[in-house]
Amino acid sequence: MARQIRPDWWSKASAGAILGLGLALSLVGLYAYLGPGGIDAPGGRYALMRHLEAFVWIAVFGLCFLFRSGRSAWVWLGAANLIAFAVLFACRFHFFA
Amino acid sequence: MIRADIVKTYKTVHTWTGITCGFALFIAFYAGALTMFQEQIARWAAPPAVGVAAVSLDDVPRLLELVAVAHPEAREEGITLHLRGHENEPARVTWEEDEPHEAGKPHGHVHWWATLQPDGALLAKQEEPSKLAEFINDIHMRVGIPKPWGFYFMGMVSLLYGVALIAGVIVLLPSLAKDFLALRVGHNLKRMWLDAHNVVGVAALPFHLVIAVTATAWGFGGPLWSAQESVIFGGKQKIAMARDLERWRAPKPTGEAGEMMPPAQLLQRLRDQVPNFEPKVMVLRNFGDKAAAVKFAGAEHGYVGDTRFGGVILSAVTGQLLKDNRASRQDPDRRVGTTILALHTGEYGGSTITWAYFFLGLSGAWLFYSGNLLWIETRRKKARQGGGAGQPRSARLLGSATVGVCLGCVAGLSITIVAAKWLHGRVADLNHWHGLIYYAVFLGSVVWAFAWGAARSAVHLLRLCAAATLAIPLTTLAALLFPALGLWAHGSAAAIGVDAVAFIGALCLAWMARATARRVGHGPADSVWSAQPPRVAA
Repeated sequence: MARQIRPDWWSKASAGAILGLGLALSLVGLYAYLGPGGIDAPGGRYALMRHLEAFVWIAVFGLCFLFRSGRSAWVWLGAANLIAFAVLFACRFHFFA
Repeated sequence: MIRADIVKTYKTVHTWTGITCGFALFIAFYAGALTMFQEQIARWAAPPAVGVAAVSLDDVPRLLELVAVAHPEAREEGITLHLRGHENEPARVTWEEDEPHEAGKPHGHVHWWATLQPDGALLAKQEEPSKLAEFINDIHMRVGIPKPWGFYFMGMVSLLYGVALIAGVIVLLPSLAKDFLALRVGHNLKRMWLDAHNVVGVAALPFHLVIAVTATAWGFGGPLWSAQESVIFGGKQKIAMARDLERWRAPKPTGEAGEMMPPAQLLQRLRDQVPNFEPKVMVLRNFGDKAAAVKFAGAEHGYVGDTRFGGVILSAVTGQLLKDNRASRQDPDRRVGTTILALHTGEYGGSTITWAYFFLGLSGAWLFYSGNLLWIETRRKKARQGGGAGQPRSARLLGSATVGVCLGCVAGLSITIVAAKWLHGRVADLNHWHGLIYYAVFLGSVVWAFAWGAARSAVHLLRLCAAATLAIPLTTLAALLFPALGLWAHGSAAAIGVDAVAFIGALCLAWMARATARRVGHGPADSVWSAQPPRVAA
């Protein structure tokens, strides 16, 4: 059987709240650039984006307690944030050069 | 199979997110259930007025011309022409004017209505409409905390509520087949409450997920918009937004005079060009100008959630379709966004869905109430195992808070609804009083619950809730029996429906008060729900 997960309430919850929001913004930002119609898509996208962000935020926050420890939550979610934001800023640079 | 340590972790997550958010969510869900009938409550509370029928659609052109001459400001702000004849539409036309203010400064608005007198002269009056229904919606959105902090607070609550939903599902999954729909009614009361909590929670899960996501998005709406602007769009969101807003704006006035098409004819032009669209109101902008336009707000049949943002703009001179934003013409992103919004507000499927959402809202409120109850009961078990009599302080305090907050909200809303009729014409600013009354009853109930303890105060406050809610139909009855009181009773199905639902609600609350009184007097004594002195452990 796998090693038991540690509770690590505060470190996991902070990772979920902070890095969950980061992941939500960066992933939805990627949708804004790479989704159908691109960054110039009709205005209906702004309102939708907020709902998508809330969805990703809740999902990451809710599931982050599955990480084995608070440390691994910060490491994995931090890495995911770094990658997502790197691609997002690459998109920004590419489309708004 | 989910490992035991994961279930244990998520049980703690579910407990603490639930306990911290339960109060705010109860208020949001109870008030939210009432907002499903926001329009009916507004009609119930609206004082008798001239009404829409006083001016026929054929006489409207004359009325509009008189208003435009006497109130030039109304032309710019837009004159609203009412079509349905509801009690909360004071007259055929209404409009807003700015309060006196310095140019460019934020300011309030005053409301006007106008009608034609029998001799054909204009009668225009400034009168503030009842904001009771909006007040209930404010309580629903911000639990009574001022802007913008109420929004942030509810955003935080909704986020944790989403987490609580995920945690609750993970906890229940291993035993779902065994526990779901197994309502074990029996001696183990806690088991029964837990079963009921699970059934109600799982059965309404899609509803709760939608509510959690949308409420988080709206609560943090402002900050998320700013974050999008700086992180995703790099300052270009505002420009794109302004471009998008053009789709909804009426054309600018030219300054040249134009002949207006009569409203009856405009409605016919709307029907010809936009079939399947049922307008609720029409708003005339820049009346008398060559570029005058009329905006129709309403619903398109067969589409979800299109009553607010769907809108069609016609030229008020030629009747030509200028802008078409109804549901079937929206881009896919907006359609998805509007659909998600409507899944929160229940704006689809007609009255069946409205009633379903009303009961889902009430069941949600019950979910948080029962969750707190389960937490308290668990503490009782632990205390008994520990050999002590009675429940720890934390359980007593949480019990009092649950009773005070939940029942204080119910009583406060009922009393403030009743005040709409009794205080009308007797106080200067009724809309201000709605807030004062609600907060006084709510805070008073919380203080009462802590002073008397959960058990005794629950009986008192449930009786108060029942009496306050019964006062809603009794007020209408009093209006019919004693006209000298200056109250009123509308005869429409909507207004009578409010009385009928309040009557049934009062009966339910009275039954709860009786059951609670019995529990308090005869139930197990080592509980916060008992008024008997606890037996001292030997």
